[in-house]
Amino acid sequence: MDIAPTPAPVPLVHDIPFWDSVKQKDLKLQRCADCGQFRYPAGPICAECNSEQATWERVSGKGTILSWVVFHKTYLPAYPAPHTVIAVRLDEGPIMISNLEGPEPEGSWIDERVSLRYSTMPDGVVLPRFELDRAAS
Amino acid sequence: MARTPRATAIIGIGQTDWSGDWRRVRNGEKPADSVGYAAQAFQDALRDSGIPKSDIDGLIVGPTTAYERMGEVLGLNVRWGGQADAVQAILQAQMAIESGYAKVIALVYGNDQRSAGTQYGGPSAMGGQSFLSYVYHSPWGMTSQGALYALTLRRYQHERGLSEADMGQVAVAQRAWATMNDAAIQRKPITVDDYLQSRYVCEPLHVFDYCLVNDGGVALIIADAEYAERMRPDPVYILGTGRSDLNTGATSLEPRLTDYYLPAQQQAGTASYEMAGIGPDDMDVMLAYDSFSVHVPLALEGYGYCDVGGVAQFLTEKGIGPGGALPVNTHGGHLSESYMQGWNHQLEAVRQLRGEAGSRQIPGAQTVHYTSDVAGKCMSVIYGR
Ligand SMILES: [Zn+2]
Repeated sequence: MDIAPTPAPVPLVHDIPFWDSVKQKDLKLQRCADCGQFRYPAGPICAECNSEQATWERVSGKGTILSWVVFHKTYLPAYPAPHTVIAVRLDEGPIMISNLEGPEPEGSWIDERVSLRYSTMPDGVVLPRFELDRAAS
Repeated sequence: MARTPRATAIIGIGQTDWSGDWRRVRNGEKPADSVGYAAQAFQDALRDSGIPKSDIDGLIVGPTTAYERMGEVLGLNVRWGGQADAVQAILQAQMAIESGYAKVIALVYGNDQRSAGTQYGGPSAMGGQSFLSYVYHSPWGMTSQGALYALTLRRYQHERGLSEADMGQVAVAQRAWATMNDAAIQRKPITVDDYLQSRYVCEPLHVFDYCLVNDGGVALIIADAEYAERMRPDPVYILGTGRSDLNTGATSLEPRLTDYYLPAQQQAGTASYEMAGIGPDDMDVMLAYDSFSVHVPLALEGYGYCDVGGVAQFLTEKGIGPGGALPVNTHGGHLSESYMQGWNHQLEAVRQLRGEAGSRQIPGAQTVHYTSDVAGKCMSVIYGR
């Protein structure tokens, strides 16, 4: 049986360390070495202070759901409908678009606390995803 | 140098037969390619203007056709030209004319998106790489422009209290206008119940919240005011323009999810109001770019037609459909008339101001406001007689 491939990341050169950290299940984001601002997607300079110096730092993996949608139409073979997507505000600042795994909230998903997990797609690709943070509720 | 109201005016408008194009394409025909649709619309606009083609010294083509090929097909060797989307083309024409680079500019747009099977979502989403937010999150299955607006709407509904039935009023109003427009592709009236019972594409967006995808063309001729007044008795003037963008956090959707583009809309709106010397209370017709219905409530708040957070009440108590306090997208917009990527709205502005809008005409319309909010670029254009 054919396995639908997970859509590949768009090839951004500054993102390579991000995807490497995902593969190692040890998510790291780029952080400005001067003002401390986290950057996602990664980039060549700091939009806040213009610094060209950056480090890669492990994030807490904690965040809050900003919004969510349910696809009722299949656009990508790896994601047959119905398929949900969430926007998470990481505690470090950036917004990540991802998916919620495990139990779903009743009613509105907005403001639910979530924590990072890693899931392996049928084709072997590892993705950072989230699950409800039951410890927080 | 300050921008001058009434320095430029539209003197010609043209289009293809959108509903006919729609029927032919559904029957499996391929009546034209994008250049062909644009050329047909140009011929129509040139006839409407009554000017000789040799007076045209500027050409702006839509992003869906190649500039050089378009100029070759139309036989236009101009001293100023370029490629731009609808609202940027208007602003560029205004700038070029005001600064003396051209006197009479043809703006032409053609699109065979339906017959060519253009994808606005999925692995080959059109133009996605140039708007990183359209493709960046595809590993998680986030694709399609509609899904971005669905994500925005869900949070907006939560924060500002816009119910699904409130939201349905946008599509219902625009369809009601379209029933009075022979050029509109979808003319069957719908109710809020029809809306609520219709299928979701990307929840919370229903199928009626999505623009049509169809083939067709649009053209405009914009000239400096002195020439415009010499050539025809009813030029439609550009009274005011404004632009402001939000780019910080664009890929991860920050301006859409937390600001709903509001600060940029307010700045663009204010700039255009100051230039025109009028404000939202003075507008006879409001036309909002509406690839998805979500644009409309955001624009009504952002451009000052109602209080921030007050759009649900505005839609219900004032109304944007026929008989409502503020006529919005009187041609049916992208949801019901035709998805000409903002170009068809400019034609409706001209028709309303010339008094040529048939049974949907707003009596004595003197001012029309066009707003566009795409990928963080907020723009405001005020037209008047
Ligand atoms: Zn910095």
